[in-house]
Amino acid sequence: MAYDTTVLVIGGGSTGCGIARDLAMRGVEVTLLERGNLTHGTTGRMHGLLHSGGRYAVSDQASARECIDENIILRDIAGHCVEMTGGLFVQRPEDPDDYFQQKLSGCKECDIPARVLSGGEAREIEPHLAKDVKRAIEVPDGAVDPFRLCVANAIDAERHGARIETHAEVIDLLRDGDDIYGVTVRHDSGPGKRTHKTPGSTEDITAEYVVNASGAWAGQIGDMADLEVAVRPSKGVMTIMNVRQVDTVINRCRPKGDADIIVPHETTAILGTTDEEVSDPDDYPEAQWEVDMMIDTLSELVPILQDARTIRSFWGVRPLYEPPGTGTEDPTDITRDFFLLDHAERDGVTGMTSIVGGKLTTYRLMAEQIADHVCAQLGHQASCATADEPLPGSENLEALETAMDDFGLRSPVARRSKQRLGSRSQEVLDTNEPNPVICNCESVTRAEIRDAIEQSGSDLNAVRIRTRASMGNCQGGFCTHLIANELVDEYDEPTARAAYDELLQERWKGQRHALWGEQLSQAMLSYALHATTFNADGDTARSGQAIDFAAFDSGQSDSSGGTTGRATTDGGTQRTDQGGDR
Amino acid sequence: MSDAAHTPDDGVSSDDEFDPIQVFPESTEMDLRPGADDCYKCSTCDTNCPVAEVDDDFPGPKFQGPEQWRLKRTEDHDIDDSILKCSNCMRCDNACPSEVPLSQMHNTARGAYVDEQMNKLSREYWRNRLLSNYRIMAHLGSKVPRLTNFVMGLGVTRAFNEKVLGITSEREFPDFATETFREWWHNRGGAAASRDRAQAARTSRGIDGDEPKRIAYFHGCYSNYNTPEVGKALVRVYEHFGYEVLVPKQRCSGTPMYANGMLQDAKRAADTNVPELAAAIDEGADIIASCTSCSMSLRQEYPELFDIEDVERVSNNTWEGLEFLRVHEDLESELQGTTADVPELAYHAPCHARNQGLDGQAIEVLSVIDGVDVEDVGDSCSGISGTYGWKEENYDTSMKIGEDMFQHMEGASGETGMTECPTCSMQMEHGTGYEIRHPLEILEVALLEGPEAA
Repeated sequence: MAYDTTVLVIGGGSTGCGIARDLAMRGVEVTLLERGNLTHGTTGRMHGLLHSGGRYAVSDQASARECIDENIILRDIAGHCVEMTGGLFVQRPEDPDDYFQQKLSGCKECDIPARVLSGGEAREIEPHLAKDVKRAIEVPDGAVDPFRLCVANAIDAERHGARIETHAEVIDLLRDGDDIYGVTVRHDSGPGKRTHKTPGSTEDITAEYVVNASGAWAGQIGDMADLEVAVRPSKGVMTIMNVRQVDTVINRCRPKGDADIIVPHETTAILGTTDEEVSDPDDYPEAQWEVDMMIDTLSELVPILQDARTIRSFWGVRPLYEPPGTGTEDPTDITRDFFLLDHAERDGVTGMTSIVGGKLTTYRLMAEQIADHVCAQLGHQASCATADEPLPGSENLEALETAMDDFGLRSPVARRSKQRLGSRSQEVLDTNEPNPVICNCESVTRAEIRDAIEQSGSDLNAVRIRTRASMGNCQGGFCTHLIANELVDEYDEPTARAAYDELLQERWKGQRHALWGEQLSQAMLSYALHATTFNADGDTARSGQAIDFAAFDSGQSDSSGGTTGRATTDGGTQRTDQGGDR
Repeated sequence: MSDAAHTPDDGVSSDDEFDPIQVFPESTEMDLRPGADDCYKCSTCDTNCPVAEVDDDFPGPKFQGPEQWRLKRTEDHDIDDSILKCSNCMRCDNACPSEVPLSQMHNTARGAYVDEQMNKLSREYWRNRLLSNYRIMAHLGSKVPRLTNFVMGLGVTRAFNEKVLGITSEREFPDFATETFREWWHNRGGAAASRDRAQAARTSRGIDGDEPKRIAYFHGCYSNYNTPEVGKALVRVYEHFGYEVLVPKQRCSGTPMYANGMLQDAKRAADTNVPELAAAIDEGADIIASCTSCSMSLRQEYPELFDIEDVERVSNNTWEGLEFLRVHEDLESELQGTTADVPELAYHAPCHARNQGLDGQAIEVLSVIDGVDVEDVGDSCSGISGTYGWKEENYDTSMKIGEDMFQHMEGASGETGMTECPTCSMQMEHGTGYEIRHPLEILEVALLEGPEAA
């Protein structure tokens, strides 16, 4: 018999998790399905900007107003995911004055606090800004960790009774006439927390109402029930710098263009971005010139970037949408607003709504509106509380700041750990067990890794997004095996190996676009370490191929010497009879 | 700072209107995060750290340097207190294959720690301040050297030092000379006498008399107050080659101050030293130090830590005593056929000599001299690292680090030690009881056949 739920949410990004939390808090029974990890789609592939609204203050004032409202709410309810860095819109001498004025008045019209700084004042805040920058507008931009935010929403949804399934791909919508009544889902490794090597299974889940929150993939989901959702996926590249060259969000103050933002993100800085429409959100070219162009262009603002180390680059796909018939040519001109598409009104098919467009900063508002809509459909009377209820980890953060407990950790380790865990610090870090640092780049201790494993099973990428372990400059070179080692208590050796391989591959993926200078040295060192100590470059124990021991010689015999065989570089003697396979 | 009503300056700022360095009035606020870019975490620094080798609680230079800096945000001001366990031997600088500015990171972090986190009323702070300002103590002590030596040697003084100040009673304070180097220099006739001697030497060597050959001697504190014989040897050897010696006004090189995080004290001393030395360079002199930590400081730490006019020029024109002669004179030919009646020597290369690439030169140069038998005791650290091993809490670690060197010294056939570094020589003497010489003293014996009349 099929599992039955009241509301089924497709998509474990910020929107989907936000909807699940909102509905669960309103007392609605909800199930969320995500085909990869939480944040796997667009949420985990963004620059981490908490918009002040300044970016939209000229072109899209409705979005700008929503941004500043939500910005203030998120500082409150998601304090442990947000860093209020402040932001600057920086004008270079060649950038237009009239746009600078429009930006300034736009901010004022949208109630975004803004003040003008001279070039000198801007450089006092950010000493690495180019010497010839003309002036800047200071706005309350911030940085947000999309992983932590998304996970915190999911955790809270679960606390309110939601079922969250990751690695669960929707492969069909169940449609009966003009009604959608559920989905068929393929579990990559059985339902529940992910354990590698567990056989996959498929499951039908029926629901009173389905919410398609799959973002750039919303069109593909729609297709399953012959509904057209005209998402226009648009790719953008982002490059992660090894250190924070800036501690403030730096925007280029000009009408539009690629490569115009630098966001300080945790220990790194993220450069963004480009905007180019793609046909398939799962398959699009990633070209090195996009990275080069971005570094070159942003170096005009912050010259030190030109020679700074990048640790990886990644591409994200925006779920842009515009109502049919708008016909905008350039994706940068498509609105960043979000749209709620009730398929009953639109297509005469009941039981499902799609949500498209939008941005991370306004995820909560989107979730509130769709939850209102769903509750109206279900006739459920309950009001939204997500603007006031802090997320798990963000309760009583002031109390945490005054409590000086470092849990026996070195001060920078304690500082970063507490920042990530927020009000969960005590519960996670206060342990009687030895608590060594596992990931040195990001200062992640064993206790935090184990806490993440408890949440997400053997999936080390899920551990990564919860802890930042392996996200520093060595990109897992020095810790992947140590993280995998923490699986031993609960999981067997093949499971740990599979988890290790998967994390190592994921870390390699992004480094392919950073292979010059120091990161090339880093990658070579990591390769050498893992190849020589774990046979990660070709382990017969895993490939199942037997070793051809006959291909080895028996070493130098006492009687050898003279004319039979020459010494080889390893000190052995070259075989003179017949060559073994090499 | 402007406010909303402020009129922005629309003009493009010229370069001299704003210099980013002004943002950080104190060097302790330097942002070294970009230096972390060079680290690919190979851990060679950690395996070369003598403190990490004997102290499991010390996280090592990789953590202290690039990792801690990378984790820093502007608003963070707490530095892990393990920074005080770093002995400032700077071996990590030398070990790093990738040019991470490790010691600069450590010095800056230590400075920030002392500035912002150390209690200025604590015994530790004042003990460190006292140790790092050795020159002031030495200056006072050497006014009445015999009395000072007597008092410092008393058991009751040493007990007081340990109980009240936290200075280990295991070590004996070095004796003050009854005549400082500068007193000797002054009594000898100063620069004018040196000019005459150099001129005479140039004439007898057949060098064109007008050719300017001039050096400025940075003697540092120790060869001034404690071992003036090293300074005298340097002066005589250089005059022998026809160099006129200047002895500019000077203060401490700053090495003990960096090691204790007293960057402002070091900056004050540098504010005297840099212009004085720059003036000597203007007169055609190169700067020569007989202490390898002094030359290290002028060369590397000054430009890394201080924004003083001429700091780069001083750095670029500073040499160690033997090094300069090897480059500018045909030292080997000069020493061919010379003899020196000296005991067999066990040589220890100081870490700071190593960092300047000078660890091999003493043996290479001195072996040419007939009668000199010198043996290298290996590449271990002596463990004292200036003031580090004088602190009660570091004494045991210091002796553990020195263990290898002591054993190798015992194993060497010589029973006299030799090194360029004053505090290494204290440790060598402390661990073995040997008398310790400076390479310049051996050179003096070979070239001048016994002490010249002063």
